[in-house]
Amino acid sequence: MVTELGTTTVETRRQPLPGTRSTHGSGGVRADPSRRGRAPLGWGGAWVLAVLLPFWLSEGQLSTATFIVIGAIGALGLGVLTGFAGQVSLGQAFFLGVGAYTAAVLGADHGWNAVLWIPAAGVVAAMFGALIGPTALRLRGLYLAIVTIGLVYIGQNVFTNATSLTGGPEGRALPTVHFANWLDFSAGNTLNLGGLTIDHNGLYYYLGLLLLSLSALFVWNLSRTRTGRAMQAVRERELAASVLGVNLARTKVTAFVISSFLAGVSGALYGSFISFAQPGDWSLTISIQYLAAIIVGGMGTVMGPILGSIVVFGLPDVIQNLSFVSQNGGGGLSATDFASIVYGVLIIVFLVVQPEGLMGLARRIPRRLGCSEGSMPEQRGDPPRRMTAATTKPEDQQ
Amino acid sequence: MTQFWQLLFEGFSLGCVYALIALAFTVIYRSSGVINFAQGAMLLAGAYVISWLTVNEGVPFFGAVAIAIVALALSGVAFQLLLLRRVATQRPIFAVVMITIGLGTALTSGVDAVFGSSTRVLGDPWGSTALHAAGLVFDWVKLWAIVFVAVVLAAFYVLDRHSRYGLAMRATASDEEAALAVGIPVARVQALTWAIAGSLAVLAGLFLSGYPSSPNPSLGESALTAFPAIILGGLGSPVGAVVGGILIGLIEVLAQGYDPSWLGNNFYEIAPYIVMIGVLLAKPYGLFGVRPAERL
Amino acid sequence: MSQPMLSVCGLGLRFGRLTAFEDVEFTVADGELFAVIGPNGAGKTSLFNVLSRVYEPFAGRVRLGERDLLRLRPRELAGAGLARTFQNLALFGDLSVLDNVLIGRHHLMRCGALRDGVFSRRARREERAHRTAALEALAFVGIDAWADTPASTLPYGLRKRTELARALAMEPRVLLLDEPVAGMGEGERSEISELVKRVHGEHGVTILLVEHDMGMVMDVADRVLVLDFGRVIACDTPAVVQRDPRVIRAYLGEGLEAA
Repeated sequence: MVTELGTTTVETRRQPLPGTRSTHGSGGVRADPSRRGRAPLGWGGAWVLAVLLPFWLSEGQLSTATFIVIGAIGALGLGVLTGFAGQVSLGQAFFLGVGAYTAAVLGADHGWNAVLWIPAAGVVAAMFGALIGPTALRLRGLYLAIVTIGLVYIGQNVFTNATSLTGGPEGRALPTVHFANWLDFSAGNTLNLGGLTIDHNGLYYYLGLLLLSLSALFVWNLSRTRTGRAMQAVRERELAASVLGVNLARTKVTAFVISSFLAGVSGALYGSFISFAQPGDWSLTISIQYLAAIIVGGMGTVMGPILGSIVVFGLPDVIQNLSFVSQNGGGGLSATDFASIVYGVLIIVFLVVQPEGLMGLARRIPRRLGCSEGSMPEQRGDPPRRMTAATTKPEDQQ
Repeated sequence: MTQFWQLLFEGFSLGCVYALIALAFTVIYRSSGVINFAQGAMLLAGAYVISWLTVNEGVPFFGAVAIAIVALALSGVAFQLLLLRRVATQRPIFAVVMITIGLGTALTSGVDAVFGSSTRVLGDPWGSTALHAAGLVFDWVKLWAIVFVAVVLAAFYVLDRHSRYGLAMRATASDEEAALAVGIPVARVQALTWAIAGSLAVLAGLFLSGYPSSPNPSLGESALTAFPAIILGGLGSPVGAVVGGILIGLIEVLAQGYDPSWLGNNFYEIAPYIVMIGVLLAKPYGLFGVRPAERL
Repeated sequence: MSQPMLSVCGLGLRFGRLTAFEDVEFTVADGELFAVIGPNGAGKTSLFNVLSRVYEPFAGRVRLGERDLLRLRPRELAGAGLARTFQNLALFGDLSVLDNVLIGRHHLMRCGALRDGVFSRRARREERAHRTAALEALAFVGIDAWADTPASTLPYGLRKRTELARALAMEPRVLLLDEPVAGMGEGERSEISELVKRVHGEHGVTILLVEHDMGMVMDVADRVLVLDFGRVIACDTPAVVQRDPRVIRAYLGEGLEAA
């Protein structure tokens, strides 16, 4: 770089700024990308458990488990939108519905294979997400939340009116998943794998688990890279994030697109599993359930929505079996009422007492057990016990 | 043409009730930044309490209303002081709002569980009587709604503009810490806003469940229609709440009355939301809302 | 004559009927350390906010190198080489210190959501490289040991350093420092002062500095701009400004001895 001062030419050699050398060359400090080495092991174990689970469950319980894994996909999506990016949305039900009806139209009306209509459901829902996303640019916080409520109502109204696509208020049948003749999820079919028999519920369970695992992996990767960081920065301080170089529009719309894609897939699977869908299914109550799932599980985390889904979507099964709940519309406390009351109370309790949700509790367990690896320093200002290579002074290595 | 005037009257009356609900939202929002998603549930509870008192307990109507107002006002205050205020200091506003969502959900189902979903009678003295004039039908319940709301709004105006507490409410809305610093009892002021909201909920519930409706579980949802009212009026603006409420009432009733079939069935149910979205596209903070300043 | 790094011409900002500043004019040469001082309310942070495209001025022109700064959107500033720290700190409290600095690297990274989500080879490479860079920035300001700590749990001084590291990690050509030593004790002030001098001297970054600590300003600045009630009352070397009677009257009180 050459500067001219009067008649003298001075050559100044600019040193690269701290923190820049390594991206342009080799050497420098090596950063450890997998700081939390222990955590994935725990989740891996849980995953294995999830794979083996169906063999210990009864028919009804497996059905509930299937609802849980399918719902968890949608909850994961809401976790990205509201948990990471901080965009309050009560519109998840709408995207679920879009996914379900896409599956219906493509799978049943046009005979597409499930291997196509499942992702298609996600894509169509994502397209709507891309349309709605820009409203988050003009509207903040509570304004956005209420617009998403409007979205659910408008959606239900449209679903009810679009009889040719949705079957109107009475609803319509949804296609069951059919990959091939030997891999058909229809009720009554079973799959025989070397001695193991997997029935309708089990097949949906494993499909749901597979898609959930892939989605969770995707979201986990997002959380530890540029995109996820940007979303969290936008959640905390939009204006500052923007001044630091984050593209608000792209970040918010991306969050909507990912969230609605997952909701679309979740809705399609749900509708396919029960082989039916009606406009009343995609109500504000459902959106609130998803919100409850991410609150209970822990907002801003990857696994939180999944934990929360276990509670929220597993609840109806537990409630059905309670003695003081009336069965099948008899007098007394109905199951839906009680479930709603419990959701409401759960939301309140968790937000007041345990805002980090179940994940907050889960994180404390390793500490209680005495593992210090990967834990954060408790005291303010004290450096953590683990030192990075950068801070080890040469004198120490005598 | 008479249909138009008939619809205009009914829309205006409904709009006045929405204005009450919207005002209740606004009052709480202004002093604590929280939107009370449980307002609809409180309205529902109010209507049912009145109905239960008049029908089951034989309490005279206005006495029942008074009792319901006190009950809901106190419950609102308790909820605010015991739960919300504790949480608000440590959590972002969104979390507090979600707590009200939780309350709304639990309360709505709670009312349903306690009272059952069979239709009830409100027990109001005017029932289905109406005044017939100029070829139009003026249901007394709708006329009284307009009168009551006018009185309430006048009273609110006096409170807001000409009393210490009104000023205190506006100060708290503007800057809570500053208000505390000058000695305003913020907790008490916020509790007052919840008491007001609870009372307004009862009044709104009373009129929403009058003829031809009745105390029934869907009342809570009707209150949700007040959301577009506060949004299009602008959060935090009482004038906006009233204007928004009346506009939404008119839109809903006119849409239902004229019911253009090319817009699909039951368009009136979503007309308020469509209008709200339309207004927001042009004015992201509502007609009278103010853009919050972000300090860097 | 080389082009100045930053040139401000006739800049004015109003809030409703209140004028924050008016007719502000100055240029900053490439590699200069330029301080902006003035009493509270003189308009210093507002000036920075205009430069960061947060506020819209009602008059004036600003050139950043070749570009018209006032045409840029806030998010384009990073790409144009402008970074800043904030008077009241704008850290992302839930994120770790390292993640905060990595936000500074955001504009230098290219991977989109899809590549990030599948953690492609490119995403992995970028992550690794930029983490290293971020850690170096943290090491430079001396807080790399706290890399994994949530920013909100740190004491004030460490948070200020995090913000500095984040701004440095953006690889700016022009660095806006808004009161980098405000609220700090004696020892920390001189440490941060040293860091600022190092950034300026070793790395040739053009720095605009808003500060109240006159000792620091006189020590590090090449030139000083003095604002009072939204108007420029002096713009010269520290030594000259120090003795300017208008400056003394407005800001420094009776006769200043450089600390």
